[in-house]
Amino acid sequence: MTSIDVQNLTKEYGTTRAVDQLTFTVRPGKVTGFLGPNGAGKSTTMRLVLGLDRPTSGTATIGGRPYASIDEPLHHVGALLDAQAAHGSRTARNHLLALAAANRIPARRVAEVLEEAGLAAVAGRRIKTFSLGMRQRLGIAAALLGDPHVVMLDEPSNGLDPEGILWIRELMRRLAREGRTVLVSSHLMNETATFADHLVVLGRGRLLADTSMRDFIAAHSSPRVRLRTPESDRLRGLLTDKGYAMTAQDEGRWTVEGAQAEEIGSIAAGHGIALLELSDEQASLEQAYLALTADDTEFAATATTPRQEA
Amino acid sequence: MSTTAVLRSEWIKIRSVRASLGSLISVFVATLAITVLAFASVGTAEAENADYEPLFFAFYALNFGQVAAISFGTTAMSSEYLNGALRVSLSAVPRRGLFYGAKVAVVGALALGVGLLTSFAGFLSGQAFMGEYAIGLGHDGALRACVGGGIYLALMALLAAGLTTLLRSGVAVLSILIPFTLIVPFVIGDVANGVAGFLPDRAGQQILHENPTGTLGPWAGLAVTAAWAAAALLAGWWALRRRDA
Repeated sequence: MTSIDVQNLTKEYGTTRAVDQLTFTVRPGKVTGFLGPNGAGKSTTMRLVLGLDRPTSGTATIGGRPYASIDEPLHHVGALLDAQAAHGSRTARNHLLALAAANRIPARRVAEVLEEAGLAAVAGRRIKTFSLGMRQRLGIAAALLGDPHVVMLDEPSNGLDPEGILWIRELMRRLAREGRTVLVSSHLMNETATFADHLVVLGRGRLLADTSMRDFIAAHSSPRVRLRTPESDRLRGLLTDKGYAMTAQDEGRWTVEGAQAEEIGSIAAGHGIALLELSDEQASLEQAYLALTADDTEFAATATTPRQEA
Repeated sequence: MSTTAVLRSEWIKIRSVRASLGSLISVFVATLAITVLAFASVGTAEAENADYEPLFFAFYALNFGQVAAISFGTTAMSSEYLNGALRVSLSAVPRRGLFYGAKVAVVGALALGVGLLTSFAGFLSGQAFMGEYAIGLGHDGALRACVGGGIYLALMALLAAGLTTLLRSGVAVLSILIPFTLIVPFVIGDVANGVAGFLPDRAGQQILHENPTGTLGPWAGLAVTAAWAAAALLAGWWALRRRDA
């Protein structure tokens, strides 16, 4: 009902294909992380979903309808595209009032979202005096104005201080718990790992992955066990016989690639080797992401030189 | 979407940006201030010139008011072309025709209201300094000139708003229109015949003359200015509808 549906979406600017035959669905009740390096087509896709740019071919709909056909859309969809878009000469309150008025959202709701975004004290100040973090909060307040079922945020944690990052993370988790559809783009993997349940990964405008976070990490990393033992030489010999390589790490720790803790645990127990520590090591989203993009050699050069968003 | 709601939103946008509201107020303030200055100092001396045209001279300060009217039309629209503000606006009102129509209506209505107030107040306050040379609203063509002057200011604001949408830049529009309205009259003089008579400012100002001498009559002249404004607005609409935001 309130999912975002992208079907064979293609957008060309001149001869550049910003979005290339993209198909995916963003479902309610979870936070979907929208990943990819800068220039992968994330923002373009969001603009296409909002009907701001026209697709070269394909469709993007929300709840089965093109955005432009939704009556008073802020009641259904809230979006933050660019925190700099608010006119610097307006006060934060007037910026939101103008948006609210167009969709017949009561003025009291403006006060509520300003409060929620922690901007109540500066509501009467001109936006040009705001820091990037404050503008980001204002953009998020605008996205929440109509209490929408669908929320799309483009790089919402840009410029936020640690407290702000924590706030936006909790907010997104809460919105998803309330059954809303939440799509959040980011080029920061570790940040995304803290809030996303599902991932849509783009590279050069094409879909690289559309899967749950857990499956994504499992699919793009090999299992690895971390252990500590006083009898490392004996254990290493045993493991080598079984075809595992045991590598020394810092502080007397060892890692075994391609193994699970239960296998190593039972091998050690079977030979009476004491283990002081044994655990499966969880690969990070970042590692999984780099593993995925490394498969695409053409793409690897872009992926391994992360740039800061302008 | 409710049209009234979108009109209200556009009014909030205009009144909350200092440059837009300021230039709207300047239409009135600049015209009145220049009128008072000019008429108090050289008003009666001017009236003793052989080619003195009491009605047209009464609207001398409207030249300055129109600069403010152009600025108003430009800034009201150009605020949408700053840092992608248009995207936020179109997210709230995705029907572009409704968005554009509402903005043009609010700009036009405000400019017309302030324009009429300005041309009547300018006319009457100037005459207060003219002593024996003073003319009233009963003077031939005076009422027509006052009403026409107000409409003229609104049309210039709309012309600017349409061009701004087409060019997506307030600076570009101001640097075309302001020199055009301030310098062209000096270059081509008082010629109101031929092609020059069909320029938007020249044609529309026919209505300020008691006995227009150009190719166009007073209302026909104003209609030509209206056609310019309509063409600019249509070009703006074509651009807004076609382009990616």
